[in-house]
Amino acid sequence: MLRAALTILRKDTRLRLRDRSVLLFAFVVPVALTLVFSLVFPQQDGFRLDAGVVDLDGGEVAGGFTEVLLPALADEGLVAVTRFPDEAAARSAIEDGEVSAAWLIPAGFTSQVTSGGGGELRLLVNPDHTLSAQVAQGIADGYGAGLDRISLAVATAATAGQGQLGPDVLEALAADAATAGVLVAVDDLVAPDRQLDPTSYLAAAMAIFFLFFTAAFGITGLLEERDQGTLARLQAAPIGILAVHLGKALGAFVLGLVSMLVLALASALVLGAPWGPASASGVVGVAILIVAAVLSSLGVMALVGSFARTAEQAGNLQAIVAMTLGLIGGVFVPVGGGVLGQLALASPHGWFLRGLGDLAGEQVWTAVLPAAAALVGFGVVTAVPGIVRTWRQTP
Amino acid sequence: MDALLRCEGLERSFGRVQAVAGVSLAVAEGETYGLLGPNGAGKTTSISMIAGLLEPDAGQVVILGDRMTPRATAAKRHVGLVPQDLAIYPDLTARENLAFFARLYGLERARRDRRIDEVLEVIGLSERAGDRASTYSGGMKRRLNIGIGLLHAPRLLILDEPTVGVDPQSRNAILESVENLASVGMAVLYTTHYMEEAERLCDRIGIIDQGTLIAEGTRRELVATIAEQDLVRLKVVGDAAGAADACQALPGVGSADAEDDTVVCLLDEAASHLPALLEAVAATGASVAGVEVKEPDLEDVFLHLTGHALRD
Repeated sequence: MLRAALTILRKDTRLRLRDRSVLLFAFVVPVALTLVFSLVFPQQDGFRLDAGVVDLDGGEVAGGFTEVLLPALADEGLVAVTRFPDEAAARSAIEDGEVSAAWLIPAGFTSQVTSGGGGELRLLVNPDHTLSAQVAQGIADGYGAGLDRISLAVATAATAGQGQLGPDVLEALAADAATAGVLVAVDDLVAPDRQLDPTSYLAAAMAIFFLFFTAAFGITGLLEERDQGTLARLQAAPIGILAVHLGKALGAFVLGLVSMLVLALASALVLGAPWGPASASGVVGVAILIVAAVLSSLGVMALVGSFARTAEQAGNLQAIVAMTLGLIGGVFVPVGGGVLGQLALASPHGWFLRGLGDLAGEQVWTAVLPAAAALVGFGVVTAVPGIVRTWRQTP
Repeated sequence: MDALLRCEGLERSFGRVQAVAGVSLAVAEGETYGLLGPNGAGKTTSISMIAGLLEPDAGQVVILGDRMTPRATAAKRHVGLVPQDLAIYPDLTARENLAFFARLYGLERARRDRRIDEVLEVIGLSERAGDRASTYSGGMKRRLNIGIGLLHAPRLLILDEPTVGVDPQSRNAILESVENLASVGMAVLYTTHYMEEAERLCDRIGIIDQGTLIAEGTRRELVATIAEQDLVRLKVVGDAAGAADACQALPGVGSADAEDDTVVCLLDEAASHLPALLEAVAATGASVAGVEVKEPDLEDVFLHLTGHALRD
């Protein structure tokens, strides 16, 4: 049986190599799209927020923002801060494009906070610089969380009859708030699923997106044989139908695996964007994820293909599913955390990218195991009914 | 008769439609057996069960002592199948197509290469063996389709309407190929709805309609079942009535009547009696200006048995 399956695999491989559309989907388009996207979209690992700050307060709490938080972010390379004397100067700098956003700390800010009344940190942004505006807002929100804690502490002290807080306590609270702000802001910008550098993320995302199309080519092979009449010949041969199914599955697996390996190598060597750490552990981790991703793609596409009667019908269904899962999984737009992040885990694509992110974060191959297990789970859960359905449809 | 293929009580339904309802037939070594019937008669379903593509609901197929089922491997080695529709890979060359199926049938390399060359020669594609099948004409594709079925030198070759949609020239080439295969002793099971093909190729013919084998035998036996005689029309210059009387007096002539200047005779085996008829007319002093002979054919047999024409 294995010999016959390998014969079918060999024949299918020869046909695939002559079918340029498969080669396009498996190799050329993913690399080309990654190149295009990486040129069109800014490199987020080189992202820096050019922002201004106007401190009309000059108090200790404002100092927590300007002297502690912003320098910490600047040290991370996330922000370059320019001080402006007043709002007009900041607005002018924004209009001139010198900075994308500016924080405005109004006069009386410190006293408002230390009296328990909270404080208003205003934000000026260039509406054309959406990403910069979001980052500036994130920093302000992070700092705001610290202010809330200070206000709460002041209110608590007042309630306990301790009166005004001393300068040392205020300084500690301001520093605490600033630190909290740094943590929040940095976490927002470097979330767990964004630990992969953007080009690597994009390349890996394109690879798994097109992997599902490549797998579909392999899975629809049986329907193609039926459409072109050769399935009858295969059934009439003394090999058993199981050999035909095995040959087709092997073909799809090999094509998907080769496609992913080539794309991983191309990403590292051509785009300079490896999918994992440059270590043996990193290579092992990426390899595990690739194999798991290929298995999941075969399972999903086998199930989808089992609902079709012709190769064309299967191709259409599989394309719809591949697109949907890709969108959910954050192939085109990183979904980050929250609801979308959870939704992404309903897709093999999301798990694959999360696995690469985990690998980049923890630097050891074992970090990919949860994602790999989820991918294999996807494959098994979808493959079993897919195989049963296909088996029943074969005379 | 030592049967190479034996089918007993084959039945197969698709949902509520019974495609085959009890087909039994046998094919001997070296025999060409034709399964003749209109479209939808159950020919392809029968063939599919015989070739092991379909599991019968009832009945069995035995080939050289091995029972044929979709999971059988021994029985399948005896059979070469030429499906009705083209079953080739257009993006492979003829040689690659043949090599692929040769491997599936387990032909070892040396034998495989030799058989591929032999088959290419038989189907006349040696010169184009390295070209992709997609570049072939329809007739060449048909020949390759047949060649794949011959590759492993099967004891039984099953051809399912191989000439459907083929131009007359290619059709003739295919029929000649089948005749050649039969002449070297290969058993052939040939389905068709073309009466002429069945008459030309087949030693015995089974007539199938609505999933049932309604008659079986040689062409002569089948025609004999309807007891029809040949009809001969002689256009006479001279005394037609006298000529008719002379013909009527000949042994084997059932009837001879004069209609204007024509003598219409009904008789058995017109071909063998025709010289005597012409001599009898000449003996009356008349001469024959034209002859028309119409023998009953399988079309007539089919019409007689089913009440509808073969190509309805």
